[in-house]
This record gives sequence, structure tokens and C-alpha cells, in this order.
Amino acid sequence: MIRNYIKIAWRSLKTNRLFSIVNILGLSIGLATTLILFLFILHEHSFDTMYANKERIYRVLLNTTEDDLETWANIPSAIGPELKTNIPDVVDSGRLLRHDFGGTAFIKAGDDVFAEDKLFWSDPSILEMFDVEIIKGSGAENLKSPNNILLSERTAQRYFGQEDPIGKTVVLDNRNTFEVKGVYKDFANNSSLDFNVIAPFMMQSAAKNPTWGNASFETFLMLNSDSPDIAGIETKIQELLDVNVKKEEQWYNFSIQPLERIHLYSSSYSNSYIDNNGDINQIRNLTALAILILIIACINYMNLITARSQKRAIDVGINKTLGASVSHVITRFYVETGLITAIAMILGLLFTTIALPVFNEIAGKQLDIASLLSLKIFGFLLLIWVVTSLISGSYPALYLSRFSPKEVMKPSASKGGMASTIRKTLVVVQFSASVVLIIGVIVIHQQLEYIQNKKLGYNPENVMAISTAGIRGGQASTALVNAFEKLPNVSVVGRSQGYPGMGVSGRSITKPNSDESASIQTNRSEPSVADVLQLKLLAGQLLPKNKQEGDTLVEVVVNKTTVDFLGLSPEEAIGKKVDMQLGNNAYIYGVVDNFNFASLHNPIGAYAFHNSSRERKSYLLIRFTNDVFTETVSKFEKTFKEVAPNSAFEYAFLDKNLELLYEKETRTANIGLLFSILAVLVACLGLFGLAAFMAEQRNKEIGIRKVFGASVSKIVQLLSMDFMKLVLISLVISFPLALYLMNNWLQDFAYRIDISWTVFLVAGLLSLIVTFATVGYQAIKAAVANPIKSLRTE
Amino acid sequence: MVNTLVKLSNATRAVNSGSKEVILLDGIDMTVKEGEFISLMGPSGSGKSTLLNCIGMLDSFTGGGYTFLGEPVHSMKEKHRSRLYKDYIGFVFQAYHLIDELTVKENIETPLLYKNVKSSERKALVADILDRFNIVGKKDLFPSQLSGGQQQLVGIARALISEPKLILADEPTGNLNSKQGEEIMELFSELNKEGVTILQATHSESNASYGSRIINLLDGKMVSE
Repeated sequence: MIRNYIKIAWRSLKTNRLFSIVNILGLSIGLATTLILFLFILHEHSFDTMYANKERIYRVLLNTTEDDLETWANIPSAIGPELKTNIPDVVDSGRLLRHDFGGTAFIKAGDDVFAEDKLFWSDPSILEMFDVEIIKGSGAENLKSPNNILLSERTAQRYFGQEDPIGKTVVLDNRNTFEVKGVYKDFANNSSLDFNVIAPFMMQSAAKNPTWGNASFETFLMLNSDSPDIAGIETKIQELLDVNVKKEEQWYNFSIQPLERIHLYSSSYSNSYIDNNGDINQIRNLTALAILILIIACINYMNLITARSQKRAIDVGINKTLGASVSHVITRFYVETGLITAIAMILGLLFTTIALPVFNEIAGKQLDIASLLSLKIFGFLLLIWVVTSLISGSYPALYLSRFSPKEVMKPSASKGGMASTIRKTLVVVQFSASVVLIIGVIVIHQQLEYIQNKKLGYNPENVMAISTAGIRGGQASTALVNAFEKLPNVSVVGRSQGYPGMGVSGRSITKPNSDESASIQTNRSEPSVADVLQLKLLAGQLLPKNKQEGDTLVEVVVNKTTVDFLGLSPEEAIGKKVDMQLGNNAYIYGVVDNFNFASLHNPIGAYAFHNSSRERKSYLLIRFTNDVFTETVSKFEKTFKEVAPNSAFEYAFLDKNLELLYEKETRTANIGLLFSILAVLVACLGLFGLAAFMAEQRNKEIGIRKVFGASVSKIVQLLSMDFMKLVLISLVISFPLALYLMNNWLQDFAYRIDISWTVFLVAGLLSLIVTFATVGYQAIKAAVANPIKSLRTE
Repeated sequence: MVNTLVKLSNATRAVNSGSKEVILLDGIDMTVKEGEFISLMGPSGSGKSTLLNCIGMLDSFTGGGYTFLGEPVHSMKEKHRSRLYKDYIGFVFQAYHLIDELTVKENIETPLLYKNVKSSERKALVADILDRFNIVGKKDLFPSQLSGGQQQLVGIARALISEPKLILADEPTGNLNSKQGEEIMELFSELNKEGVTILQATHSESNASYGSRIINLLDGKMVSE
């Protein structure tokens, strides 16, 4: 019986080419997107699940209790050991510091210098907690004494090739010498932690003199139970805090986060050394999108099958007179749907393998085609196959199976009034969804464009930042400045701790004679940096050129927001003493206009350039005039190597670096664009098929109209108007929905566009044009056909 | 003794069209005995097809009595009724209504599938009937590859395969030319001689004359027998 059904379905597929192609193509695109997203979601959810202790590992979070409430993943260095000693639930604790608080390490191995951005200073306990597997030499015990280092397998190979790395020495930042003691297996690509090089945390001053102040250390705890009393532990942490820090000096409190939540639920946390976090919201949105596309494809199927309900009704009638029961007919439709979905599935798998690299590129992931072969995926495929078949098959099966056998005797043309209403509704649903997506994509792109072109208050173009962290000694640095200043296409050079677009040192500024305070970014800089960035001086002067060694006087140049906070005009502020944790001898020397030193998600906060020697100047900022980037870069590299032959040339362009701030949005936009194109494509496929059947169904009507003198254009109009009306209804539904959703999205930006009516105009016109192009072809084909043919068929 | 297949007593069918009640069949009294070949005649709209549909249990009378093989159809549940017509009635249509996607052989086999006949038995039955109708050579062709007459032949073979007590044929030659029509009628009378009971609706006097009895309908009433 089933075999017979499959045979009928297969032959019917072969005869109705258009129907089959439209359906299978639509479904397979829908399935491929669902599959890719499933892979993506599976990968995101697999983070950190490989660790044996995963249920007992927690990360300590710091919650600021001052003006802007933030959550940091970095905490002071004293907390970890204190918790271990004083709270019985805490079995172990481990601290991590990314080299130079997130900077690049320069490692000299043999004759080569490597720029290493994944060097972590770690407590030995971290290695045990996270099952770090030593494959050569020895492991955690080496982190208990100084000047030992561990390398990942990949890194060892990068540094030493095929040679045995054990016992070799490397030089860090041109200063300390380390001995390679062990090689460990690379971290999995779905691990939040990923170290290339591990150095002993005990060498850091924060380990020798742990404090409750400097919150710069990512700290993990191992608890004694799989289901710990979180609230109880947090209370105990608070009690410890109260013992160690006076109530009025507590600008923070602590909470703990289970390992399984680190990857997906940390995107709003700042100050973390983990840089591969995902975002649960993104996953939710993508899931919704995938389901939407799949539904659009299923709707196509339902629409096309019921559009042919006249033929179907006769079919059902014949079979019923031949003895088929309702359940026979229902089974038959499900088998037919199942067959089509199965073919679509296979094609979808093929599309997936083709599209996966593209998706990887866009989403910045390395999803593996081989993972398609896993049991989970097969289970998922089976599930999707069943669900899609059930959804798509339900309506035809339940609706058409009820046709009475007497349809065979005199098929009534009026049948399907109900079907046509449902069909129209489904088309409206499809198009509304597509239009929302189109508007979404346009708005996201406009916002990103706005961000990229916004006047930032400084000029990030043609500025290169070269890391000088690997260079020791003031003389070499000065020599470097001099060498660059001599280059013909360099206009200004200045050294500083950091540059706009990257985090510098967060401190807090307090109003005089009051305890009101705000956070401020402080950046130790040379005076020329203001010229490199082309900042506008409002009052006073740039930092003084010369400063004596050991001078405790600190000059600061602050931005407008800072003097606004202090309640002063720029002119009044000059010469005033300020308390911004730079010692008690700091004075305002100049005021510059506001500039967007962070991403446009946030309003401009307080910022200060200073010359206190408590921070290092790790970057050389160069403003150049030549636009030929490649030439400039090689020339700069040559100059750099001449002065500092022992350091790697690590650089960034300020404007390129800014783009990284909006990487998440750019990705969202691109993924959104991809999905929207697919959704619209699938919807159009359906419309195309539907239009073909409509034209076919109205063949006779068209013939009669033509015989009575209707022109081709009249008939095209007649056939297209039906669909145009549906699209217009979709627009009415989708506009407010899109407006609401996109305004929500824009709330994430402190600087944002207003959604203009032109977006809706463009989206509306676009969908009307697409509809007409799709339907028009069928309409014209039907309209120019010879009426004799269609009338003779009776 | 000859069995009575169908007995109608004062059978009526009326439908509501808007606010008016339209009477399609009015007080029909008739009996169909096993082995008969009856032709229903009458102009368009006289109620021939309606009567066939009602007898075939695809539609139902709204009044009067209908017994099939002694069982009262008018008081039967839908499920019971449909089992009855599946077991005892074969249909032949004016537009043949073969299933486009199935070959000749498969079309003929379909009613057996729905009756859950075993595969080996199905094959034997289908082979028999193909042989009997002389269409063995066409068994793997699709309906679209056959002429109208050949299609109707397949349609009749399909109606006969499950050995029904009664064949209902609604204008079986309506779509055929006169030569093909004649051949189909010859076949019907041959089948009738072999014992198949046939009730056909037709426009044509010459077709009607093949039958053993002619019933004339006009405006839903029997006018002569």
C-alpha cells in the first residue's frame, strides 16, 4: 500500500515539474538554514561541557554598586585565596591574568620573536580544574615556582617546529627568561578558556601582595558539590568582604556564575579575559529566524497543494469510490509530503555543505562539515523531517481527505472558497515576515553606516598604533619616536598607554568636598598624542613636554564631560586640583572637546590624559599622510626593526580597530541579510508557483475575456492585482511590527538614527516590484495564450 | 431464485437552494434484480445522475426507503454504508477517471489494495482481467498513452476487479466516438450475459437498447418503464 502511495507521489512529482521544483527548492533552502543554525546552536551550547568538573566550577563576578551598575568578570586578587581559606564549600580557587592586562606578549624563541596574544598568568589550580592534559614534560607544579612556562601543542610547534621544546628558554618582552617545562594538549575550540602560553601567576605582584582593590583577575572556584547553595556562598563572600573592606569603601559586591553560563550569558559583562563569548539573545533570534524560514517553506507547500485542490478533489473522489477510507487518503497525503520533504532534506544537506563555509565566514565560526555526521544531527534531521512533513502535510491531508466521492461525478468549481481564504492568509503571513526582515536589514545597515560616518570628535583615519610593550628602556623608545618623526610621510608621533577604541585604565573621579564620584578612563600620554588624534583644545594647554623623573606632580588634560561633572567651565577648570586616583598632586592642565573614545553604544563618559608614571606607555601612535597602506606598513616595519630588532612588529590602524567595536552588529547585519534574502527568495518561489496555478485555474475565464475583447494588459492587471492586494495587506501588517522591533534594537545604541519613512517606502516598493516580477511572468504568459486553446479543453 | 439487489420505494431527494426547496428525485419506485441490465434515460437535469449517485451511496435519498441486498440503506450509519458500496458496487465514469500517475495494471489493482487483498492473489486477479479484456500488451502504459475507448475499457476492468454485485455507469460512452461507444456497449452486454448486473445512465437511444429494461426519467419522476 505505502509503496503504491510512494509510486503515485513520485510519478506525480515527475509530471508536475514546476510544482515539484518550487516545493523542493523552497523546502530544501528552509531545511538547510535550519540545519546550519542547529549546528551553530549546538556548537554554542557545547561550550565548556567537556570538563569533568563542569558542574562544580564557578566564576566570581564583581558587581559595581556605583553610578553605572556594571558586572565585571575580573575581580581583585585577594578574593580567590580568601574564599578558599574561609568558605568550606570552596574546595579550590584559581586566578588568571591575561598578559599585560589584555595586551600582547612578545616572546623570543630561538632567533624569532612572536607576538603572542594568548599568554595567561595562571594559578596551578586552574590546570587541575580544567583538565589540562600534559603531553610532554610536567604540568601544574611548574607554576608554583617562577620562570617556568608551559606551551600548548600548537604553540610549541609554532615556536620550535619539530624540535623538542622541553628545557628550551624563551624571553618575554625582552626582559624575563623562562624555561619551557611542559607541553599541553590544545584547548578545544568550544572552550571558553584558551591559553597558548601559561606562565606562573605567582610571579605577579598581585600574587605576592594580594589586594581587595585592583579588579583585574579572572577567578574560578571549584565547589564541593554539584548542586551548591549559591545564595549561601554569596552571603559568605559578602561577610568576608565586610571583614576586609570598610562598608563606605565598598564600591562593589560579588556573585558567582556557573561555568555552563559563561559562554552564552556573559555578553553584557565587561572586563573579562575571555574573548569568544556568545550571546544567548543572538541564538534566540537566529532560532526564531530559522523557524520562520522553515514555516515560510511549509506554507509554500500547503498553498501549492491546495491550489490544485480541484484535481485533488477528483483524485480523492476516485479513490474513495474505489474503496479508499479517509485514513487511506490521509496516509496518502502524508506519504506524498514525506517523500517531498525527504528529497528536500537530501538536497538541503547538500546545500548545507556548500553554504557552511559561507556561514562560517559571516558568523566568524569554524563549524565543521564532519559534525554533520553525528548521531545528534541525524536525530535532529529525523525530527525536522517528521515535523516538516506533519506541518506541511496536515492541511492538505485533513482538508482534502474530507472531500466527498461525489466530487467525481460533478466537480463543483466553487469548492475551495475556504481553501483560497486560508491560502491568501498564508501568503500574507509569508510576505509580512519577509517585509519585516527587509526593513530590519535596511535599518541595521543604516545604523552601522551612521556609526561609521559619525563625527567622532577625533580623526581615526591614517593613524597607526604600534605596540612597544616588547621594548625595554626609555632610550630605545625615544629612538623609535625620533626615527619615525624623520620619515617623510609621518606628520606627528606620540606615545601613550592606549588609544580611542581600546580600554585604558578605569579610575574614579571624586568631586571636591563631596563624595559624589564617577568613573573615568585615564590614559598616560605624551602631549603630541592630542595632535595625532586631532583633538580640539577648549582651554588651557596640552600636557607639558618635559617632565622630571620622580616628579610627583601630575598634570591632566580632561575632556568636556569631566569638567561638566565637576560643575566647572573649561576655563574655570584650568589649574584646579582633581582627585582621580592619580595621587593627591594632580591638576587640570587643559580641557579638550568630547570625542567618542568608546563604542557608540555608550554616551561619552569622562576621559583624561595624564603624565603620571604609574602607567606604562605601550603604544606608539603615528599620524601619516600616505594612503598607500601596504607601502606605509612595510616602510614602518623596516624602521621599527632597525630600532628594535628584538621585538615583533605588532600594529593596528585606528579606524580598522573601531570597526571591531561593531563586529557583533556587523555580523548580525550580515547574517540577517543572508536570512532575509533566503526568506524572500523562498516566499517568491511560492508566489511564483501559486501564480502559475492561479493562471492555469483561470485559463477558461481568461479565454472568455479575450474572446470578448480584453487586452493583454487588462488581463495581466487582472491576474496581478490579486497578489498585489495581498502584498499591500502584508505591508500594513508588517510596518508597525518592524518599527517596533527595530526601535527596540536601536535602544542599544547611545547614538542612533531615527527610522525614516523612506525605509518603509523602499521596503514596500521592493516587495511590490518583486511580487510583480514573480507574478507578472505567469500573468503575461497566460494573457498572450491563444484563447481557442483554453476554451477547447472542455 | 433471483436475488433483489436494489429496492427503492417512494425514494425522494430534495435540496435547499437558497430559500426554495428543489426536488431532484420524486417518489421513485424501482427494483433491480441480479442479472439485469437497466438503462436510465432522460434529458439533462432529469435526475439520472442523482439517482445513480444515490443508489451508489455516494449521495443519499432524503425520503423514502432504499434497501440493498435486503439491508435498509436509509437507516444505516455512514461507515456501514461505505463498506457496503465498497464491497458490492463498481463505478464507471463518463470521464473514465483513471489515476494519471498509475499504469493500466496499477489502476486496475487499486481497489484490491484498499480491500487488503494479498499480493499474490492481486497479481492473479489482475492478470486474469487483463487477459479477459485483451489489454495485456497495454498493462504498463499510463492513461495518457491510451485512446478514450481504451481508457474506458480500463475503467470497466477496474470496476469489475473486485467482483461487485452491481456496476453503476454514468454516461459511460459520453466522451467516446460512436465506434468506441459501440464497443463498450458490446462489452457491457457480454458482461451482462456472464451475470454482471448493470445500471447505466445514458442519453442515447441506441445505447439504451442494449439493456434489458429502460427506465425513463423526467424532472425527477419516473415516467415510463
